[in-house]
Amino acid sequence: MDAARASRLIETALRCYPARWRHRHGQEAAELAALLMRDGTPAGSIAWSYLTGAAREWLTPPPGRLTALACALLVAAGSVGISAGLLASAAPARAASASQARGHAHCRPGVPVPLPRVTPAAGRPHAITWEAGRDRSC
Amino acid sequence: MAESRRDGRGGQDVLRRVGEASVLILISLADGPKHGYALIQDIKELAGVELGPGTLYGALDRLERLGLIDPLPAEDRRHPYRITAPGAAALRVHLDSLERVSAAGRLRLQLGGI
Repeated sequence: MDAARASRLIETALRCYPARWRHRHGQEAAELAALLMRDGTPAGSIAWSYLTGAAREWLTPPPGRLTALACALLVAAGSVGISAGLLASAAPARAASASQARGHAHCRPGVPVPLPRVTPAAGRPHAITWEAGRDRSC
Repeated sequence: MAESRRDGRGGQDVLRRVGEASVLILISLADGPKHGYALIQDIKELAGVELGPGTLYGALDRLERLGLIDPLPAEDRRHPYRITAPGAAALRVHLDSLERVSAAGRLRLQLGGI
């Protein structure tokens, strides 16, 4: 492989690195490749080493970014969990209110109707109980 | 298990998981600062391992993040690195651990009569 072609190959491999890496090591890495080629290391082998290094660099986020990503995931998971919990606790009460309204549609207007009470029960997060002594029908 | 990762003085072997290249770089830097090309040449001489340049920079970045090496001001385009005090301590702990494992291995070979 002629020198110009080898140099282009190395440059291409180095372009695969993230910009922050190229900014920090790019010039030195190009010079190191030239020195290694002068010593007889094949350009293909150097380019391959840089390519695998670039892949590792992209696949391994810097620690700061990793922490931020982990925090974002935790916040997202927490939000989803809280929303699901709120929905789950509100759904039975809403359903009970709707069925109550339907069930007492024939009742006389103005008569107070007992409403179901949502209270925590053992084994289940929430259960709908009726106040003692009151019938469900009118 | 946790005990096996510690040396007799209670220091943790942080180099256990950093890979062979990082350990070789620390060993090479133990006798003074070096830049990339000098590191590759020295490691080839001392361990017979030809470190690829991509592997070298990955290991240098990792060691720097861990605070085990420090970059020195650039000379032309070359950035020399030096081992830090925590780096030297970590290398000592790792080498002690390797020595113990090596001694145990030799003893067992002897006992096994192989």
